Amino acid sequence: MPKFSVLIIEDEKNIQTFMGKVLKRHDYRVLCADTGTQGLDLIRSQCPDIILLDLGLPDMSGNKVISEVRTWTSTPIIVISARTAEHEKVQALDLGADDYITKPFGTSELLARIRASLRHSNRLRTDSTFYIRPYRHGEMTLDFSRRLLKIGQDTVHLTPIEYKIVAFLAQNSGKVVTYSTILSNVWGPYADDDNKILRVNMANIRRKIEVDPAQPKYIYTEVGVGYRMAEDEEDSQSAG
Amino acid sequence: MKRIFSDVLFTVILLAAATGLSFCFFHFGNKNPSNITVIYILALILIALKTTGYFYGIATALFCVVAVNYFFSYPYFRIDFSLTGYPVNFIGMLAISLITSATTTALKKQRLAIAEREKELAEADREKLRANLLRAVSHDLRTPLTSIIGSSSSFLENYGDLSEADRLELVSNIKEDSEWLLNMVENLLTVTRIDDTSDNKVKKSAEVVEEVVSEAIRRLQKRLPDVRIRVSMPTDFLMLPMDPTLIEQVLINLLENAVVHSGSTKPVDLTIREEDALVVFSVRDHGKGIDSSALPHIFEGQQLSAETSDGHRGMGIGLSICRTIIQAHGGTIRAENREKGAEFIFTLPKEKEN
Repeated sequence: MPKFSVLIIEDEKNIQTFMGKVLKRHDYRVLCADTGTQGLDLIRSQCPDIILLDLGLPDMSGNKVISEVRTWTSTPIIVISARTAEHEKVQALDLGADDYITKPFGTSELLARIRASLRHSNRLRTDSTFYIRPYRHGEMTLDFSRRLLKIGQDTVHLTPIEYKIVAFLAQNSGKVVTYSTILSNVWGPYADDDNKILRVNMANIRRKIEVDPAQPKYIYTEVGVGYRMAEDEEDSQSAG
Repeated sequence: MKRIFSDVLFTVILLAAATGLSFCFFHFGNKNPSNITVIYILALILIALKTTGYFYGIATALFCVVAVNYFFSYPYFRIDFSLTGYPVNFIGMLAISLITSATTTALKKQRLAIAEREKELAEADREKLRANLLRAVSHDLRTPLTSIIGSSSSFLENYGDLSEADRLELVSNIKEDSEWLLNMVENLLTVTRIDDTSDNKVKKSAEVVEEVVSEAIRRLQKRLPDVRIRVSMPTDFLMLPMDPTLIEQVLINLLENAVVHSGSTKPVDLTIREEDALVVFSVRDHGKGIDSSALPHIFEGQQLSAETSDGHRGMGIGLSICRTIIQAHGGTIRAENREKGAEFIFTLPKEKEN
């Protein structure tokens, strides 16, 4: 299997080294850039499979790099950002970043994010079989073809809107999905900006699928940004 | 300048109104000057109440006396100082204006002083928190940093001599201490988040309570994977105005306290209860409780690391941050000892967003 190549755009040498070491250890080909300009050059010349981008670069804003890259390629971009900067994350995601990871992060988190984003970008290019194969995590199985959600042996009855939300999150499992993306995918492009309806629906879904809604196992909240569904187990095994 | 202008305007308008009213009375046959005087006295009191200083009151009193004399006492439209009771009338008016002005001025001064004092108190509170934080930073941060630097240099310098187990121990110490540092930094960050906004207030948005709770638990479990927490909350969908990052921090601090300091392995209970005007959060552990001498001052950030007896680092600063956050939200926080263990209770008001 050819190695996936990862480009790390990060001005902090120590963090670059640490990420580089971890990724090499897990059989990725690693490219590094210290500045946005250098990063953009590498993206054009090397066409990496995935880009890890720090938002606080010395020469240009990370958001500028995202919009620049998105003019010609859909290579997944994972933004590395500080916590508490919710609107910064949302802005980067709206500009076309695929996911974000919050500083400081551990290695397993980093690898899981990369896996989820890579899987998602591959699926766009290759076959659509995934949408027929059910999503599985823990006790939960979601059968897309039969529109059936099961926890263990019990079928969970969802309203059509609730099913759409869960199915959309499951198709993007492991990745953060912003409120506005869910709203426009479930309620259509003219949906109201107010995300309260989505959050009410999510609360109902949680009451149906989670044992303890305050300690969810399937759908996590990214406060101020959106939701993230636990990674599909079969995917994480085959890609890991 | 604006103040003077509005005062003058107010005085003129009120006097004009009083004069106009008096003319109406007068015109419709009520020629008794005492009724007219009552109207003027009313205007006088109002002016003395609303304006600043004595000047407007005295000027009005003069005007009133002259107006009553000129317009409404025989001979009409002529000043006549030989009227009976005229000096009494004049002195009475003057006295009313002086007394009213004096009272209101004193009241205003008092109110200003009280507001000033409250502001100073809030400022002093924040100052105290800042001082405590600085103390915590200089003291508490040095300990883990010493351990990190020591462990890493020992790892680098004696790599060959160390056994596999020693290396593992050194690196895990580094990890543990840096995670503790991170927690401290995040607490510090929340304080700057309150300081950034004016008036010690926070920016609130409507948040789903269970989402904030779950995020707090998830972040705590990232650091302490063995933590067990039993959550019970109303089954109804519950939204509450708050700054989610700050409330998350409060929950993390309280839960961590309950786990680390209780000395018990039983799960911590997090209970959320909805009342008419507020939501009550309670964090209850089943350990040894809080030392009763420390209980009254537990939120004051006094018992820093050196004084804790159980060998764990103190979370005094964490609790005082909790209090600052909750107060900035307009809520209350308190700690109580229960039959077995301690309970921390905080409330958040359900008020509408502005």
